[in-house]
Amino acid sequence: MIVEGPVLPLDRANVDTDQITPGRYLVGMNTDNLAAIALSGVPGAAELLAAHPDAAVLVARENFGCGSSREHAVWALLQRGIRAVVATSFGRIFEENAYNNGLVPVTIGESDLDALMHAQTLRIDVERGTIAVPAREDSPEREIAFELDPLRREYLAGGFLAFVERQIPDVRAWEAAHSTP
Amino acid sequence: MSERGTYFDKVWDRRVVQRLPGDSALLFADRVVLYELLGAKAALDIEERFGGRLYDPQRIVAVTDHIAPAKDGDSAQQAQALRLWARRNGVRMYDIGEGGICHVVVGERGYVTPGTTVCCSDSHTCTLGAFGAIALGAGTTAIEGAMLGGALVVKRPKVMRVQVNGRLASGATAKDLALKVSQMLGFRGGVGYVLEYAGEAIEALTMEQRLTLCNMAIEAGATTGIIAADATTYDYLAAAGVDVTPDDALRADADARYDATLEIDASALGPMISWGTNPGESVPIDDAVPADADPAALAYMGLTAGQKLRGLAIDQAFIGSCTNARLSDLRAAAEVFRGRHVSVPTIVTPGSERVRRAAEREGLHEVFQDAGALWTHSTCGACCGLSMGVLAPQMRCASSSNRNFPGRMGEGGRVHLAAPVVVAASAVLGRLATADELEPALTEVHA
Ligand code: SF4
Repeated sequence: MIVEGPVLPLDRANVDTDQITPGRYLVGMNTDNLAAIALSGVPGAAELLAAHPDAAVLVARENFGCGSSREHAVWALLQRGIRAVVATSFGRIFEENAYNNGLVPVTIGESDLDALMHAQTLRIDVERGTIAVPAREDSPEREIAFELDPLRREYLAGGFLAFVERQIPDVRAWEAAHSTP
Repeated sequence: MSERGTYFDKVWDRRVVQRLPGDSALLFADRVVLYELLGAKAALDIEERFGGRLYDPQRIVAVTDHIAPAKDGDSAQQAQALRLWARRNGVRMYDIGEGGICHVVVGERGYVTPGTTVCCSDSHTCTLGAFGAIALGAGTTAIEGAMLGGALVVKRPKVMRVQVNGRLASGATAKDLALKVSQMLGFRGGVGYVLEYAGEAIEALTMEQRLTLCNMAIEAGATTGIIAADATTYDYLAAAGVDVTPDDALRADADARYDATLEIDASALGPMISWGTNPGESVPIDDAVPADADPAALAYMGLTAGQKLRGLAIDQAFIGSCTNARLSDLRAAAEVFRGRHVSVPTIVTPGSERVRRAAEREGLHEVFQDAGALWTHSTCGACCGLSMGVLAPQMRCASSSNRNFPGRMGEGGRVHLAAPVVVAASAVLGRLATADELEPALTEVHA
């Protein structure tokens, strides 16, 4: 799986899921209309999005997606065309939600982040675990390595629930052998 | 890993159905909790994609809480979808009038017992770690998995011992301790960890205080929080009508190895207040806004570095939420309100309908109403800024809830997190304050 495209440089830390999808947009049964409100609680994001209409890779600083468990945050980014988020760390639940929906959560070191934040486009090779950073005047082309969770990367293609479903006999057997409330 | 011998590990080991690659495991899901705002979709998805097959409907509990009762057509649809689904599937639902905030309802009714797991599509599920259980917030898909397969895929976290020594100082509450932990760890200091609270101060906490403390584990980015079950836990469960035999084997080893330790002296704690846009940005109420404060947070909050917090004028006060709206919280707030009057709009929202009725039996609702506060039914209400007390831009609110994120209680609204007694004193004086600033109460008012 390759994710390639323009960067959305969101140069902020602690972008919580209330900012990615403000609570008022969680009301109602329709979850297919989130593209227009993605990141709408982030100050300055409207201008940023307008300047990067075709962005496919969001680059942010640490603790991206912290806070509320709302999976809407992941859905909204996907609906806005974002296929991968690169950050130095993620909120746990957001990262899980990302895997479960095929949004690639890439964790990299602080020292590499600036280069990515300034890149126009990035190419992420999910299988190899590499990000290709194009050359700029002051720096040659280079590659940054990353690691995905060895288990959850398998869910990127949408296999999480199918996996759980296959475990049901084991879960039932476990339950029969253990005391539970 | 399991040789660490922490309390968390003991519970984890008891719930592993299967080990998975990358230090993850399939954990048995003893309880799954749903609520209308983020649960209705999960419920309907399971019906659509798996023909409604549930691992065990008896393990699922549903509530309406975030916008309850519904405020408009969209919120009504969510509540109704969950309600009808629960009925179709034989799932126990606590609806308006009976239920309340999910984490409060599930706890007070004894659904969570030591050594088990509970999950809910809400990040504050960590509250329930106070019962000595692994309590996990999760997204929609993971909750669907728990409903369908009776299990959760979880990456084993590191364990941080939050060692709280001494006894909580008389002017301090569990909320102040929670805010202190947030301040010390910062907004992401707990990422990758579960916080295992222990020590003399923790053992001395009541169940309600433990719930307040664990509620805010997520605010340091932690996977969850947990407190070893002891006599306090078992007594509380017995009173809730749940008979669980105390299990002596379920405890941390004396030589348990923790991946990190945070030490706090509870006797040195006093009232805390948040100044910024995450709970880590909190200080003792007599401290000033830090000199190195994040400029974006200052701009949002309308504050400057070095500014004093005590005395800052507020526009609204809110006592409620899964953090601080149980009976002991309401009693403490009522003591401050008794014989006094609020000077800003003030909302008091009990954590559950059980709490509401218990409070009313004690006459607490009269105290709040005599003080000019609005006493409501139980709901998340103002906490999540969706109904019942939404802030306008730049409105400043003292709140007993857990999140002060930008826009959390309304677009542009400014939230200062504090203990219920601090919020109550602030409501009376119209500025951030503590109860010791108040004039003696007019005791005859509520004779
Ligand atoms: S009271 Fe607030 S924090 Fe608690 S579950 Fe409700 S919205 Fe979430």
